[in-house]
Amino acid sequence: MKKTIFASVPSVLFGALIAIAPQTFAHACSGHTPFGACHYSQQIATGIGIVIAVLGIISFFVARQVRVGINIAVAVNSLLLLAVPTVLIGVCKGQMMHCRMVMLPTLIVLGVLALVCAIAAAWAESRAKTA
Amino acid sequence: MSMESHITLRSLPRENLKGKPLRTAALTIVVTLLSLALFAGSMLSMNLDNGMRSMERRLGADLMVVPQNSASQAEALLTSGSPGTFYFTRDVASAISKADGVAQSTEQVYISSLAASCCSSKLQIIGYDPATDFVIQPWLSSQFDGDVKDGQIVAGAGVNVSADGTIELYGRDWPVVAQLASTGTSLDNSVFVNRATVPQMVEASAQVSHRVMPAEYARKAVSAVLIKVADGYDPHMVARSITRLDSSYGKLGFVYPGGITASTKVSLGSLVGYTAIVVAVLWVMGVIVLLAVFFSSVNERKREFASLRIMGATRGMLRGVIVREALIVSLAGSVIGVALASLIVFPFSTLIGRQLQLPYLQAGPLVVIGMIALAVACSVAICVAASMLAMRRLARPEAYMTLREGQ
Repeated sequence: MKKTIFASVPSVLFGALIAIAPQTFAHACSGHTPFGACHYSQQIATGIGIVIAVLGIISFFVARQVRVGINIAVAVNSLLLLAVPTVLIGVCKGQMMHCRMVMLPTLIVLGVLALVCAIAAAWAESRAKTA
Repeated sequence: MSMESHITLRSLPRENLKGKPLRTAALTIVVTLLSLALFAGSMLSMNLDNGMRSMERRLGADLMVVPQNSASQAEALLTSGSPGTFYFTRDVASAISKADGVAQSTEQVYISSLAASCCSSKLQIIGYDPATDFVIQPWLSSQFDGDVKDGQIVAGAGVNVSADGTIELYGRDWPVVAQLASTGTSLDNSVFVNRATVPQMVEASAQVSHRVMPAEYARKAVSAVLIKVADGYDPHMVARSITRLDSSYGKLGFVYPGGITASTKVSLGSLVGYTAIVVAVLWVMGVIVLLAVFFSSVNERKREFASLRIMGATRGMLRGVIVREALIVSLAGSVIGVALASLIVFPFSTLIGRQLQLPYLQAGPLVVIGMIALAVACSVAICVAASMLAMRRLARPEAYMTLREGQ
């Protein structure tokens, strides 16, 4: 049970934070006409966050080997999250823009933490002794 | 065929740590907090110090004469970087330059740009006179080889320059010939133009129905006269001699960049002081907790150590086991602490600088690597020292007595 919690709770927690943060305090710049890059990064980050959280919830109810796979999926999603605002889509170029000052670093921090936790969980679950 | 697992003296520290996960976790958390506080606190202080030095280098004048009621706006422009537009006329500027005690003077024009669309912020446009300038030119020439021609722009580090090397101001694209390195000051959000470009800017602003100043002022507007005072003169004395030039000059605004630097230094000093106190208190508490954990752990492990002594382990061997345990825990804890601090200090550096309202310039990679090494080394050293201190207590009594004591 302890291992299940260790392998599942971080995904739920970070997934929820990744989904909520870009829509609340770490939002994109306002006043886009048409929408700028930061808006699309924000929306995709929310989507990825929901996927990570759902994967985390599912991992409570599945076998250990499946949890290993789920955590690998969470790690890959975290990498995707890191790539969205930095490489794939980006944010506004102005250093003083809210999306660059708050949204980008928040997503990077949450992405790195989710990635590290998922890798650690996958590693721990794959080493667990079978009965 | 089954493999028997042997615990050797070499693997003993790792097995001990695994065997007591709660104690290991508690020690790791304490060391994590210590290294996090030390690294984050030191980086914050260092970046503030860097920003202060950068600001001192950029404010190269002794006295700044600005129009009536504009002194606070000019100060804000130098420190917090709130863009503004204010001006008087060139004849006032030339009269000021002839005042007693003025060794060198140059004129600058400040215009605040429009906050264009969603993806750019308001910029400060600074028009300077290359013929007389002694403030901006030396800095520009250290990073940009050549003259800023009419219509060209040199952009600060924080300015959003488009991929084609232009910047949109007042609906027009202006060529950017150079982008300066970050200074950690308001100048990062400024663009620099030749004084002769100012009328073109004013005209462009009129075309987007946001005329920044009347057309007749475009060529004769001066926002500030920057003065270097002659040897033996005090900036306040020069300011008084300027007010004596004409009765109306008494209302002019006088800004003393040295004073701004001094007041910024005071706020910065108190912030760095508070940070140092918090880090010191955390370290004192951390060391006390480490000592307490090591002493109690050594106490509860007396039998274990006595058994090892009976099996032939020397005091040095026991000390080695404990030191290696401390080494593993402290290395893991300090690396986690530095990594966590890095996740806050580096990605959020622009936000930290903005929230502090103080010059904040991120230190270079070599300095950062040095600080990481220092934070890890200090945390490891304090943890190992605490473990050795606890071991000294155990080393004194004889093994038999210790074994009896444990019974």
